[in-house]
Amino acid sequence: MSVLSMKNIHKSFGELNVLKGINLEVNKGEVVAVIGPSGGGKSTLLRCATTLETIDKGEITIGGDTLAKDSDKGAVYCDRKTLQEIRGKFGLVFQNFNLFPHFSVRRNITESLIHVQKKSREEANQICDALLEKMGLSDKADSYPCNLSGGQQQRVSIARALATNPDIIFFDEPTSALDPELTAGVLKVIRELAEEHMTMVIVTHEMSFARDVADRIVFMDGGVIVEQGPAKELINNPKSERTKEFLAGY
Amino acid sequence: MDKLIPIITQLSQGLVYTIGIFALTLLFAIPLGLLVAKGRMSKNKIISSIVRVYISIMRGTPLMLQLLIVYFVPYYVFKLNLRDLVIGSLDYRFIATIIGFSLNYAAYFGEIFRGGIQSMPQGQYEAAQVLGFTKTQTYFRIILPQVIKRVLPSVTNEVITLVKDTSLAQVLSLTEMFTAAKKLASAQVSVLPFIVAGIFYYIMNGIIEIIMTRIEKKMNYYK
Repeated sequence: MSVLSMKNIHKSFGELNVLKGINLEVNKGEVVAVIGPSGGGKSTLLRCATTLETIDKGEITIGGDTLAKDSDKGAVYCDRKTLQEIRGKFGLVFQNFNLFPHFSVRRNITESLIHVQKKSREEANQICDALLEKMGLSDKADSYPCNLSGGQQQRVSIARALATNPDIIFFDEPTSALDPELTAGVLKVIRELAEEHMTMVIVTHEMSFARDVADRIVFMDGGVIVEQGPAKELINNPKSERTKEFLAGY
Repeated sequence: MDKLIPIITQLSQGLVYTIGIFALTLLFAIPLGLLVAKGRMSKNKIISSIVRVYISIMRGTPLMLQLLIVYFVPYYVFKLNLRDLVIGSLDYRFIATIIGFSLNYAAYFGEIFRGGIQSMPQGQYEAAQVLGFTKTQTYFRIILPQVIKRVLPSVTNEVITLVKDTSLAQVLSLTEMFTAAKKLASAQVSVLPFIVAGIFYYIMNGIIEIIMTRIEKKMNYYK
C-alpha cells in the first residue's frame, strides 16, 4: 500500500522550472533516500509533499487522503479540513531543526498534541516521555533548545515529528547542519526507526548512510528523477552516466 | 522645606494626570501598534499604503500639533461641539490627549513590532504549519512571544520617551505635572518647581527601567 503517492509533479518559481514531472510512490514501511546535487529539486519535492509549497500541476496523496488533484487548470488542493488531517499524518524534520526556542523540550513536543490533536495533557506527556526515552533524552525534558547540542536538538525535532504517530516522516538533510561527531547520534536514531519499519523519505548527502539504511534510493537532478533502484545496487552499480558522475564525487 | 511641601502637593496633583496619560496611552497604543504592524505588512496594497501614509504623518509631524488637531478638528471642521463632552469624570480635553497620544505612539510601536515580526525566521512559521497549528495559534503561541522578547529594548525606549512626552499635553491646557510646575514657578518666582518636576520624571523613568530590566532578565531563559 502506498503511503505517499506523487504523480507528474510540476513546480516552478517564476521562470525557473524546479520540478519537471516527478513520479514517486512510497510504500508502507519503506525507507526512501533522495540524493542528488544541490539545486536538483530534492528539497522542493519534499516541501511540496509537506504542504510548504504548492505544486503547479500533478497529484499528491498522503495516507490515503488526496492533498492535490490534477485538473485542466493545474493542481487543485483539498479543503482546509482535509489539509489539517493530512498535516497530522506526516512529520517533517528540518535541516536546521526549527524547534521553538521559547518552549522547553517537553512543550516543543506536546504543544501540537494538546492544541492541534486535542489530546489531554497527561496523554501528551506520556507520549513525550516515551519518545524522549527512545531518543536518549529523558533527562532533557525541561531543558530549552538553546542548552542542547545540535545533535540533541535534532533528536528533539525527530521526537516532535513522531509525536502525532504519523504514517510517514520526511527528513530534509537532517544532518547537514551538524558536525560529524553529532551526526552519528542522529543517524543512529533514524536507523532505529528504519528497523521498526517506519515509513521515511530522507533527503541526504550521507551516501553510506543512504546505502545502509534505505530500501530504495532516488537520484534527482535537473528537476527529474534520473535513476532509482534498490539502495545497494544504485550506489554500487549506477546505470546512468549522470549518477555515476555524481557518485564519483563521494 | 516650607517651600517644598506645597510644591510636592501641587505637582502630585499634576502627576495623577501625567500617570493617567501615560498608562492609558500604553493601554491603547500597544494593541493598536500590533494592528498597525499587521496593516503595514498586509498583502492588500490599499491597506498597506493607507497604514504607510498614517505612519509617515504620525512620525513626520509634531505630536503637539497632532494633539491640537484632535482637539480642534471636531469643532472647526465638523461643527461638533465636543468641548463640553464629559465621559465619567474625563472631559474632552483629556480624551483628546489620550486619542492623540495613542494614535502617535501606535505608529512608533507598529514599526517596532513590524521589525520584530519580520526578524522571525521563516522556519518557525513552517514548523508550526506542518504541525497543524492554525494561523492564529501560530501567531499567539509561537511568533508573538518571541517577538516580545526581540522588541523589548526598543519598546523600553518608547515607554521612557512617553513619560517625558506627557508634558506636551500642556498645549491643551491640561494640568499635568509640567503645566503644574510652570504655574508654580511663575507664582513663586522660583526654579525649584522645575527641579522637583524633573526629579519626579526621573524617578518615574527609573522605576520603568528597573521593571523593564527585570522583564528582560525573565525572558533570558532562552536565546
